[in-house]
Amino acid sequence: MTSLKTGWQRYWQWLVGVLVVLLALGGFAYNRTRAHADTGRTKVVFWHEMKGPGQKALDSYVKEFNRKQSKYEVVAEFEGGYNDVIQKILNTHGTAASPALFQSMDISTSQMYHSGFTTPMQKFVDRDHYDLDQIIPGAKAIDMRQGQLLAMTFNASQTALYYNKAVLRKYGITPPPVDPTYSDITRVAKEIHSKSHGQVKGMTMEAYSWLFEQLVANAGVPLTNHDNGHTGNATKADFTSPAAIKAMEWVKENIDAGDFMNFGSGGNASANESASFLSGHLGIFMQSSALTGQLYKTLKNDLGVTYYPRPDGTKANGIAVGGAALWIANDKPAAVQDGAWEFTKFLVNAQNQADWQAKTGYLAVNKQSKDEPQLKALFKKSPVLAVSGDQLARTKPNNTNSGVFVDGWVPARTAIQNAMQQIFAGEDIKKSLTTAENTYNKVLESNNRANGRN
Amino acid sequence: MISSLRPSKRRPQPQLTPETGSQVTAGIKNFELKRNDKYYAWLFLGPSLLVLSIFVFYPMLRTFYLSLFLTDNFGRPTVFVGFQNYVNLLATKSYLASLQATGIYVVGVATFTIIVGLLLAAVANQKIKGIEFFRTIFTSTMGVSVSVSAIFWLFMFNPSIGILNKLAVGLHLPVVNWLTDPHWAMVAVIMTSVWMHLGFTFLIFFGALQSVPKTLYDAADVAGTNSRYQFWHITLPMISPTLFFVAVITLISSFKSFGLIDLMTAGGPTNATNLLVYRVYRDAFVDGNYALASTESIVLAVIIALITLIQFKLLAKRVNY
Repeated sequence: MTSLKTGWQRYWQWLVGVLVVLLALGGFAYNRTRAHADTGRTKVVFWHEMKGPGQKALDSYVKEFNRKQSKYEVVAEFEGGYNDVIQKILNTHGTAASPALFQSMDISTSQMYHSGFTTPMQKFVDRDHYDLDQIIPGAKAIDMRQGQLLAMTFNASQTALYYNKAVLRKYGITPPPVDPTYSDITRVAKEIHSKSHGQVKGMTMEAYSWLFEQLVANAGVPLTNHDNGHTGNATKADFTSPAAIKAMEWVKENIDAGDFMNFGSGGNASANESASFLSGHLGIFMQSSALTGQLYKTLKNDLGVTYYPRPDGTKANGIAVGGAALWIANDKPAAVQDGAWEFTKFLVNAQNQADWQAKTGYLAVNKQSKDEPQLKALFKKSPVLAVSGDQLARTKPNNTNSGVFVDGWVPARTAIQNAMQQIFAGEDIKKSLTTAENTYNKVLESNNRANGRN
Repeated sequence: MISSLRPSKRRPQPQLTPETGSQVTAGIKNFELKRNDKYYAWLFLGPSLLVLSIFVFYPMLRTFYLSLFLTDNFGRPTVFVGFQNYVNLLATKSYLASLQATGIYVVGVATFTIIVGLLLAAVANQKIKGIEFFRTIFTSTMGVSVSVSAIFWLFMFNPSIGILNKLAVGLHLPVVNWLTDPHWAMVAVIMTSVWMHLGFTFLIFFGALQSVPKTLYDAADVAGTNSRYQFWHITLPMISPTLFFVAVITLISSFKSFGLIDLMTAGGPTNATNLLVYRVYRDAFVDGNYALASTESIVLAVIIALITLIQFKLLAKRVNY
């Protein structure tokens, strides 16, 4: 009886103790969130996915913005990878945890638009008579829908082709032209391999869907019906177009010639291929233009950069920008959204975009950035750093080079990546791409059904 | 889990003296007199039931519920499809490949962990000079986190700077594309996983070996048996509960391997290491297809439950407690 009673008391003591701790923690957290509001500024929470130099540069812009004006306080929060953030945005919208401004990747444009969770930037552009012409057409095309700007492209990159000039010099090989065709690259890759007696591999391509998509884009061919979803809801994928097959046949030719090195896919693959490239074991590879600065640091003027390759006998259609854009969430009060817009304008002004490109290798989205002293000096010293920017500047946006406007493109990428890996391992091109296409068509169908779209 | 499966059986039971016995019965009587037993039961079980229902039972039911629908971009169930998701899933080639890969992985990891762990424990159980040092080394992987070991092995598997391929070149062996060749990638993740599990397994086996009564070996020696006979007829039966325990733990934990796969291969190449748990993660949080991920979760749960059941039914019979 007595033991039961003490047990009873102890139970309550524990319960009260736990409650006190919980309340204290809650109060602490509440105080922490309140701390910013006490400055009298409007707090603008900004979610981003930048690491390394990008994060550093971004933090410095946030600091400068907060110092330059006293109306808003931007709080930048790193949220992990591009993929994670989409789900986080969709799941936190309308709660206190959601951001006012967030960065979301290129292929999420359609999903973000359809979510109805964002305020189209066009609204602010029209209200402020913001000069949208200062943003490079090719850079903003991916974030436009029927002439309306949905989001602001912020960290722009395009696929680029890199070659090691030192290797070419050593074996007396003529460099590829700046706007190469498939056969231009094949010639160089084969020569590297044969003239070095197999010591240096000619080329590689990561099994990365983005690289495949851009080869198809550069040929001016869409990947889904309704012009990549720009003129209607996409219901059928097309990964087996002649352009797609031709692109893979190009790779296949190099595999068969023995000059192709397979690094697989994923983060390890891109790290390994650039390590190989920098150490002179590999002559040519294709990756994001955002890598230019890093490669330049090691190779200096031995780094060669060209536009993304195009099929023989066709004019380059141009390629889409990758990277990510800034979106304003519509679950925050107007004052907070205004703050998000002000900060967006600040991030894409000529000076900051010039600084951004110089520090990170992302391409400036502001036309005037190239005239900023910082970039002018940089390009003068190392012209190779300007190549990808030129590629972006000359791109005339159309439905095949402005990305895919399709909800849930990630599974398509997974499917294409599998096909690429199979092709690199020697399997039939048409068969592998057909499998990918069928896989994604099923996803597309059930996705359209679940979201009530046809 | 540990205490319930092994050492408790050996713990000396309290001797019932007449005195304590009467105390116990008095206590029971007291208890029976109380009419509000139920009240106390709910009171004490309440908090854990509450926590379990919020964090375990509700999500389980919800997962099953979601698996009967198609979910939209927000993860909301919109179109009821009954068991169509299950039918589609089990007809998906890549899912069947994942099932197979998981089977190979789980069996591979469990088998090699047990064999190597037992071997190391047997070695460490010998009276050799300086063996304490090795005992420490053998258990050391327990202190290494998944991410650290993944990175550590990634360096070893690296095609251009990895020590494994440098060794292979030095020994004039063919160079292996550890993480880009679909077959070798599986070998690579199994190796890493076995290595990670070894510390714990070794420790458990070592403890079990130490607790086998020395007198049994002495008697066997007198009977003139050799050491192989002693291993199969004394050591193995005596440590069989531990063996069973380790088998269950390793099997279940390798079913749940996630961090390792995410860091080393991300399911690749060509889905060769896309294990069931990793697939669930990708489908839910990368592709945003919650219905599919829920379906896969339910299938995975059924598989794990079945295997555990079979293990208990089959192995428990042969375990010599």
